[in-house]
Amino acid sequence: MTEPDYDIVVVGGGHAGVEAALVAARMDRRVAIVTMDAKRLALMSCNPAIGGIGKSQLVKEIDALGGLMAEAIDATGIQFRRLNLSRGPAVWSTRAQADRVEYTQFVCDYVERTEGIEIIEDIVDGITVRGGSVAAVQTVSGRQISAGAVIVCSGTFLSGLIHIGEEKIEAGRMGEPAAYGLSESLRELGFEVGRLKTGTPPRLDGDTIDWSLCQPQPGEVPIPFFSCRSPRRQFDQVPCHLTYTTDETKRLVSANQHQSPIFSGQISSTGPRYCPSIEDKFHRFPDKESHQIFLEPEGNGTNEIYPNGFATALPRDIQKVAIRTVRGLEQAVITQSGYAIEYDYCPPSQIKPSLETKSVHGLFFAGQINGTSGYEEAAAQGLMAGVNAALYLEKAPPFILDRSEAYIGVMIDDLCTRTITEPYRMFTSRAEYRLALREDNARDRLFRYAHKYGLVESDEVEEFSTLQTRTNELVALLEKKRVRVADLGSAGERFQKADRVSLANLIRQPNLSIDEALALARGFDDRFQDSYEPLQRAAILIKYSGYLDKQQREIEKFKRMEGLVIPDSFDYRGIVGLKKEAIEKLARFRPSSLGQAGRLEGVSPGDIAILSVHLKRRGVVPA
Amino acid sequence: MRTGWFCGSSGERLDEVMAVYMSAGRSYTGLSQAEIYCHGGSEVVKLLLDQLLTSGARAAEPGEFTRLAFLNGRLDLTRAEAVAEIIAANTETSLNVAREHLSGAYAEHIETLRKALVEILAEIEASIDYPEEDISPEEHRSNADALSQLISTISALNKSYDSGRILREGFKLVIAGRPNAGKSSLFNLLLKQQRALVAPTPGTTRDYLSEWIDVDGVPVNIIDTAGLRLHSGQVEKAGQQVARQLVSDCDLLLWIVDVSRKRWRSEARSDLSHLKVRRRLLVGNKIDLLTKSLEDGNSDSDELIQISCLARRGFPKFVQRLARQVHSSMPDLTSGLVVTSARHRQKLQTAARQMKLAARLLRCHESPELVVFELRLAADALDEITGKIYNEEILDQIFSKFCIGK
Ligand SMILES: Nc1nc2c(ncn2[C@@H]2O[C@H](COP(=O)(O)OP(=O)(O)OP(=O)(O)O)[C@@H](O)[C@H]2O)c(=O)[nH]1
Ligand SMILES: [Mg+2]
Repeated sequence: MTEPDYDIVVVGGGHAGVEAALVAARMDRRVAIVTMDAKRLALMSCNPAIGGIGKSQLVKEIDALGGLMAEAIDATGIQFRRLNLSRGPAVWSTRAQADRVEYTQFVCDYVERTEGIEIIEDIVDGITVRGGSVAAVQTVSGRQISAGAVIVCSGTFLSGLIHIGEEKIEAGRMGEPAAYGLSESLRELGFEVGRLKTGTPPRLDGDTIDWSLCQPQPGEVPIPFFSCRSPRRQFDQVPCHLTYTTDETKRLVSANQHQSPIFSGQISSTGPRYCPSIEDKFHRFPDKESHQIFLEPEGNGTNEIYPNGFATALPRDIQKVAIRTVRGLEQAVITQSGYAIEYDYCPPSQIKPSLETKSVHGLFFAGQINGTSGYEEAAAQGLMAGVNAALYLEKAPPFILDRSEAYIGVMIDDLCTRTITEPYRMFTSRAEYRLALREDNARDRLFRYAHKYGLVESDEVEEFSTLQTRTNELVALLEKKRVRVADLGSAGERFQKADRVSLANLIRQPNLSIDEALALARGFDDRFQDSYEPLQRAAILIKYSGYLDKQQREIEKFKRMEGLVIPDSFDYRGIVGLKKEAIEKLARFRPSSLGQAGRLEGVSPGDIAILSVHLKRRGVVPA
Repeated sequence: MRTGWFCGSSGERLDEVMAVYMSAGRSYTGLSQAEIYCHGGSEVVKLLLDQLLTSGARAAEPGEFTRLAFLNGRLDLTRAEAVAEIIAANTETSLNVAREHLSGAYAEHIETLRKALVEILAEIEASIDYPEEDISPEEHRSNADALSQLISTISALNKSYDSGRILREGFKLVIAGRPNAGKSSLFNLLLKQQRALVAPTPGTTRDYLSEWIDVDGVPVNIIDTAGLRLHSGQVEKAGQQVARQLVSDCDLLLWIVDVSRKRWRSEARSDLSHLKVRRRLLVGNKIDLLTKSLEDGNSDSDELIQISCLARRGFPKFVQRLARQVHSSMPDLTSGLVVTSARHRQKLQTAARQMKLAARLLRCHESPELVVFELRLAADALDEITGKIYNEEILDQIFSKFCIGK
């Protein structure tokens, strides 16, 4: 057998493709990214922002696993802040506005510097499978590129169709051609292909906006960067602005609703409920008079503004009028119309938790092809697919994170067990062990894996273990140090009976933020003069200690079920006692563990009990 | 193997039992395991089970023991082959039984509770995942209110467990009092036959007697007991211990006093203060021996029902009062909201406890993710009764109720 052209071919150079290629290269694989335009890697085609609630946790996990996204946004962000600060640390979420041109430039430069990655400007329109394993990809220019593994990260390009009013444009993103052959090829290989929809708002010329009518939202200082390894640069942050739709917006949008392809029947695929178009919002919530619109800058070198909350597929002329009914946008000029886009995806019941497809060895799917939306969701999958493609070539067992370890684990498990009916976006409420999956402890959770697979430098791991040790010392100190209630000022009022109280107890008080408590603590003892990070980490552990213990017991229960592995080849037919519906679901999703089987809709606890008996029996019989 | 007494939380003896300990590897499940064998029917078993559950034990899920046995490799291939079919059937049957029970009003009720809970969860989750949509303090307060309402509904449901038991096992009426008060006489009268021995010497009844009568269509288990001497420091005789136990488990206690005794009022007061019962009626017997009639008024809190077993006086009123008591403790059969399984009750108790924790956190404005943490455990508990919860479900709620997202 001759050596393939590349170890791994990555189809598509979006956020998933880039992470996949980088991580595979780090694992010493020869990688090719096949993409239309080498200058447009990791493009922010929609919202010019990274992070946000549930997503920032993904970004921190990507960072802990040696991915690039966090570093890229840290280097090119123009505004950073943390959301949910008034809530507990498990749901604090960092979000940053990016300079989208610089972001792409940063990623392109980084990829170019990386040894072992080649970029091929072409479009993949076919996949060759030999003996059940992937062998090569073909491109529209007629090239045949052989590879040991292929990762498909095609974004919204698969048979992309843009809708603006009655207008239909075949495109993957505005101004870029769609890819058709690949969907066809996947169908021929036996994959089920479905269709999803998403939308984007019009872009505005910032010079035509009356900023005095909008509410500024400044960045946070000190700047909350994402990555643990990026330089702490100082710069003037650019504010975002908040404004609202008016009665006139509601009237106009509602009156023209029928002209939107979403309502006219032109688009039949399902869009996301969490990111509805403005016409959808007024339709579904007729009682709500006004909706928030966030005006987000697209970068330093541009005046272009992204009106977040105003996604629409109304005809261009109506968009023009409708946007001007929003406060502060009375004179606004649209630079690019909003649109809805339909694209192909492969229902992710067809992939394993490693992101390898169930039917073709060595073929991996990551990002929107799996029905997800969002750069962060895509990047996280890309990274996991990259690691697993490399491991596949080594014939090593795959790298799989479970629901108790990472948001990445939650997401991929959801993909493997749920029927996707709309683009999948991460939320913190999807994570049942949310208290344990925080931004601050991403490295505690994932560094050992990063180390194991050689994704981060070993001095980084050592440095981190120093931080861990210091955190534990501080926890002990805060538990031990008792202070006089009288010295706590107004914060002491909540302790009516006590005379003295430990600092840990102070931190655990509801209605007192961790930062407030730490500010007090610092005043009492010189030993608390550490930099913010170890102290904050210690305070978070104290704040959640009782809950984390309780959660740990739930996690152990969960782990026991996850540990009961169902062999790939397990045949569900003919198992006495299983309900028919359960057999169908089990055969379709082919869960990898008993725990995962239990999460399938239509599979009852009774079915699981029966299944566990049969598995045990199967385990006893030598195959 | 040992024999001994199974004692309640306050040390009272519940039943004489035999206990067998099996060390790890030698039991059915392969884990170290103890089995307790007790006397009597379902009544005693229920009592011991309740005691175990309140002290922190957990009821086994259907098929759990067998599952453990498998997981610990206790069942070999041939036995596994055979048992697998049986287990399948067993689990299915138990599930069917559960499903049957879960059909109708009861299921609907639990489902309503769960929906209400998921709705609260969704509201709070929305406030976490969409902080920009500012959810107002009023909404938080309404969540707290909704939660309190849920908690009281569940408490009520839990109370129905006792009514459910009455439905299955009959209404238990215990006749007790000091020796010679006329307990056996009353027992015979209610039974309309001379079943118990009646004699002028105190201490005639030594063991207890149990019979069934019909009170307005409700099967009532009447029990005559040995006279109690709660005041004396003497060591109790076996019959008195039993009597005391019977008193503490009954649905209604008839405390008989001999009103011809000079100090009957203070005696009754002190006796009753020694007994913990949910419902009782104070019956004054031997009014035929009184020279002047008693005031009908209350002796402290208890209304005195005056009768004479010998002269057969006061009976219509007594029977009327008795019937009223029996009926008021019966479940409302038309609503169907009766918890009949100890496992269900335990889950409901867990759910209520978790909700109380959550309500407390809400009240002191604790961070919402912690409120959700407690509520999810509550939802899990309810789920173990009805089915499963999916996070998707919470998200569905979020999206259907609020306009969120940019
Ligand atoms: N005068 C009178 N005597 C009664 C009445 N009821 C019961 N007695 C008498 O009181 C005595 C005791 O009656 P029992 O029914 O055996 O009393 P008991 O409470 O069962 O007594 P022990 O079983 O010994 O605790 C008997 O001699 C009865 O005839 C009553 O209403 N009036
Ligand atoms: Mg007697």
